[in-house]
Amino acid sequence: MRRRMLAVLAVFGLLAAACTSGGDESSATGESPSGPVTLTMWHGYTDVEADWFNAAIDQWNSQNPDIQIDPLFVNNDKALQKLTVALQGDEAPDITYQYGSSLPSVATAPGLVDLTDWTQQPDVNWEDFVPGAREAATFDGKVLGIPALIDNLAIVYNKTLFDEAGVEYPNADWTWDDLRAAAKALTDPSKKQFGFSYPMDASEDSVWHYEPLLWQNGGSILNEDDTQAAFNSPEGVEALDVLAGMAVEDKSVFLDLQNSPYTGLFNSGKIGMLETGPWDLASFPDVDYGVEILPGFNGDHQTIAGPDMWTVFDNGDGRAQAAQEFLQWLTAPEQIQQEDLATGHLPIRLSVAQDPAFIDQFAKTIPGVDVFAANLANVEQARPVIEAYPTLISEAMGLAIVSALLGEKDPQAALDEAAAQTNDALALSG
Amino acid sequence: MDRFRRFLVSDHAAGWAFILPSVILIVVFGLIPIVWGLILSFQKAGLISPEREWVGLGNYAKIASDPKARQAALNTITYTLLFVPTSILASLFIAHALNRKIAFVHFYRLAVFIPVVTSTIATGIMFLWLFDKNYGLANWLLGKIGLGPFGFFEDPNQAMIALVLMTVWGWLGFDTIIYLAALQGVPQELIEAASIDGSSRWSTFWRVTWPMLGPATLLLVVWSTISALQLFDEVFFVTHGGPLGRTSVVVFYVYRLAFEQGLGSLSLAGYAAAIAYVLFLVILMLTLAQFWLGRRVVHYSS
Repeated sequence: MRRRMLAVLAVFGLLAAACTSGGDESSATGESPSGPVTLTMWHGYTDVEADWFNAAIDQWNSQNPDIQIDPLFVNNDKALQKLTVALQGDEAPDITYQYGSSLPSVATAPGLVDLTDWTQQPDVNWEDFVPGAREAATFDGKVLGIPALIDNLAIVYNKTLFDEAGVEYPNADWTWDDLRAAAKALTDPSKKQFGFSYPMDASEDSVWHYEPLLWQNGGSILNEDDTQAAFNSPEGVEALDVLAGMAVEDKSVFLDLQNSPYTGLFNSGKIGMLETGPWDLASFPDVDYGVEILPGFNGDHQTIAGPDMWTVFDNGDGRAQAAQEFLQWLTAPEQIQQEDLATGHLPIRLSVAQDPAFIDQFAKTIPGVDVFAANLANVEQARPVIEAYPTLISEAMGLAIVSALLGEKDPQAALDEAAAQTNDALALSG
Repeated sequence: MDRFRRFLVSDHAAGWAFILPSVILIVVFGLIPIVWGLILSFQKAGLISPEREWVGLGNYAKIASDPKARQAALNTITYTLLFVPTSILASLFIAHALNRKIAFVHFYRLAVFIPVVTSTIATGIMFLWLFDKNYGLANWLLGKIGLGPFGFFEDPNQAMIALVLMTVWGWLGFDTIIYLAALQGVPQELIEAASIDGSSRWSTFWRVTWPMLGPATLLLVVWSTISALQLFDEVFFVTHGGPLGRTSVVVFYVYRLAFEQGLGSLSLAGYAAAIAYVLFLVILMLTLAQFWLGRRVVHYSS
């Protein structure tokens, strides 16, 4: 029980610590480091990603005695919380990895470096970064992050299960009704086998798996000027109807409350199809899988991108300048090629993505990853880059989607309720 | 100067010196945060941005009209009403069963206590597996006798019950040890006297043993109520408030507001601090009421 007391004390304590925050003046970011500096860099890389990352850091450190990088592992899911605490103690890292959706929150932090000038240097070749990643790094007209990673969603399917059920593999012309029919055919309650899986933790993960359907069907998340909810339109309801029908009527969906057992279940042949990203491919060594772009509505097959970024904090002494130099090296085409081949990350630069020799080699290292790389071209829209989106709006939409898939509410009622909450949230933050 | 020297050699100074390390810890991690939290609760403030706006009692006024706060409060009350009686009755039963001369009794006592020292995360992972809707052991066993399958943590109407079962299991050992100690403090001659007077075992327990356990029961009721109202770890790790907010308890909601949603310009940390303060006042009053009630009904033997 002491642990609970401590948890509450910690909440009190950290809330309290917030009062002490110091708004220290940031020094000019243009100055160069006067002597050797060691920069703290937070990253969330594990396994093969960590192997590549540490090797890259070692290479940089040996070549640049004046700018040493000191990497520190911080779980990406908690990077924003951890940054919050660090800021209270004036101990912000020089460089930290952040989810794209956190940018509007991070933007209010004292000491965050505006990178707009950096992007205008010719060596950086800013226009070469994938458009979706550039948009996500820009808030209020200022570039506040350097693209670190970009993902998108496609269909990963188990070929063996399709063959056993005598169902044709997904193709690029599939509709969501085709996917629904296939999922139903692949479902076998006696074997605890499901046709499809859906993340049910009501987090942004539950939301962004639905948003491509919304967009494909002609709907949008918010109205033009981000002042009103728009996802409860007939298009949005129709899109959710497909998923809810699969989950409630067909019972062909593994409803993954924890949003993690699905990888293990897919790898042991219990799930026929996943709507997921390239990061999962390495978890499926036991399955003969295929990858295909998302099914569509009315021939529209657009997907959604999840961009992450490096943000820089100014801790004086020209450290911010040094951090930008390092990140420029880390995100240069040569490093990106090495990174992608080692980790399966998708190319963050167009020049890499459009290099046929590279793509050839890429597809050989991780089967199916080339489909994800090509799928970046199907990214047409971004989620709203406003602070209320990743917090309150995402929560309202997540609850609506989960309650529709559980059969607690019908899609129209669920989305209407979420729209009302969204409008409240927008009024609050506007 | 004289006075200072006298203080230095007095028992007072020595006493303070001995407790200084823990006093520093309590002040730094307890008192200062409590005061700062109070100040924060009167401000519109996020944790990232240094901007603070004084809003007086505005944050407190907002709580009454917040449906999510109401849901969190109801969930917390439901959880407490289920958790406290269940854990106390179950631990009383187990303590009674272990308070006798049977083979391997030390092994059983150890087994009962092990969940208390097991990390919440390990307990959580284990129960997620046990209570898995499709592949869990619980549904497999229940299926053998024709029950289920149950959704447990995945079913909005069962998640709270599953949470109570998990936490009761996790904390049972603590309550059991307290009861076991109290049971061993019940004078044997009282039990003998009762049985010589022809009292049945059942009535001996309720007329003699149970009143003697009064102080232990009061302690456990107060302690369990406080920890039930502060439930956080299990919810954070196992259900994250879901499904559909049915296990979103007050402390978890405070965390969500302050550390996930209101970090930046939405500035909900002050509001979260206000809710934390209301919870603190509720716990304080409830505890005082329990002690007041306890003094009137609990029998202290000495």
